[in-house]
Amino acid sequence: MHSPMEQFEIKRLLHLKIFGIDASFTNSSTWMIIAVILATAVFVWGMRQRALVPGRLQSVAEIGYEFIAGMVRDNVGDGGKKYFPFILTLFIFILFCNVLGMVPYSFTPTSHIVVTFAMAAFVFVGVTIIGFARHGLHFLSLFVPKGVPFVLLLLLVPIEIISYFIRPFSLSIRLFANMLAGHTMLKVFGGFVVMLGIIGGWAPLAFIVVFTGLELLIAFLQAYVFAILTCLYLNDAVHLHH
Amino acid sequence: MLKSIYGALAGLAVLVASGTAMAKEGSGGMPQLDYHSFAPQLVWLAIAFLALYLVMSRLAVPAISDTIDKRQGKIQGDLDAAEKANEDTRSLVAAYEKRLADTREEARKLMRERGEADSAAAAARLQALHDKLAAQIGEAEKRIAAQRDDVMRGLEHMAEDIGQDVYTKLAGQPADRAALTAKIAAAKGGSR
Repeated sequence: MHSPMEQFEIKRLLHLKIFGIDASFTNSSTWMIIAVILATAVFVWGMRQRALVPGRLQSVAEIGYEFIAGMVRDNVGDGGKKYFPFILTLFIFILFCNVLGMVPYSFTPTSHIVVTFAMAAFVFVGVTIIGFARHGLHFLSLFVPKGVPFVLLLLLVPIEIISYFIRPFSLSIRLFANMLAGHTMLKVFGGFVVMLGIIGGWAPLAFIVVFTGLELLIAFLQAYVFAILTCLYLNDAVHLHH
Repeated sequence: MLKSIYGALAGLAVLVASGTAMAKEGSGGMPQLDYHSFAPQLVWLAIAFLALYLVMSRLAVPAISDTIDKRQGKIQGDLDAAEKANEDTRSLVAAYEKRLADTREEARKLMRERGEADSAAAAARLQALHDKLAAQIGEAEKRIAAQRDDVMRGLEHMAEDIGQDVYTKLAGQPADRAALTAKIAAAKGGSR
């Protein structure tokens, strides 16, 4: 019997150092690479026939593509076309990491705040750079809501600025906390099953079965939320108006 | 027996729980906050994400958008062809209906002309018959009139002859022809 937190431990499988940086291949790296390989399998191997009438795997790839393409089209518009491959990669990477984390004995890279924060910070910095590159200093007008009296602006501008800088934190903590809480919950109830044994263990086991379904939904939902919020932030940077 | 099993289970549970607590304390809290693990995670996140980004942007997105465009083109082409075929059919039907209407109109005209000609000929024949009959009737009337005149003339002669005979018998001498004729004519006029 282990701690519910033990499943999140980083285990170095291969000790590596590149330019003095610890670049060890860990259990987290393993599942990131597996996610990339599986995503490549679906999106490249699945599309190998490029059939006009798609097969099963090609349909999956096309549905994923259309889903994110529609999201970018609806939320960013034409200006978002350039960033579509990035959003698609973001969504697919998070989705595959989340869902693969539901496999028993696997590891969920997105359950670590450093991973989700790195992605959120990349999105934040990227969006800010795009905003300034497209609009120059005019991008700062994002913090000034239109049609508001001057007195209120004294209050609203600081709020807008704070909410802007909170974005990478809310984005990363939302994903990390959902993964952490879900997996911890499953582990704790798994512990209950063992503790209560064959007589009383059925109730937490039934709960785990139901909760696993919910976790799969959350795995998808959090990838979706991450992608759509990135789209919304990108829309601010590309179009500037709220 | 059962009670001992329950007892053993309870003991096991307590053991497991305490072991869990100990393990928790031993590991020193959340693995997520162990900053020694940050560098390898970030390095491999960068590698994995970049790899997936390259795969997606260079291979997957062009392949899928190409396929979707091709499918869209095919569907649009098929729709256009269907639309054109539909249009052709509609114009064919219109031409057919126009021809049908023309033919019907022509047939009606022919029938009307034919009917008019027939009735005109019938009227002419009737008229001719009528005229012929009228001529025959007129001739017959003339003939009757002529015969009647003959008969009347014969009757007048007969009356004169009879009158003369009667007079000769009664008077014993021949009668004056002219006076007799005048008398007969007077009698005839009186009887009328």
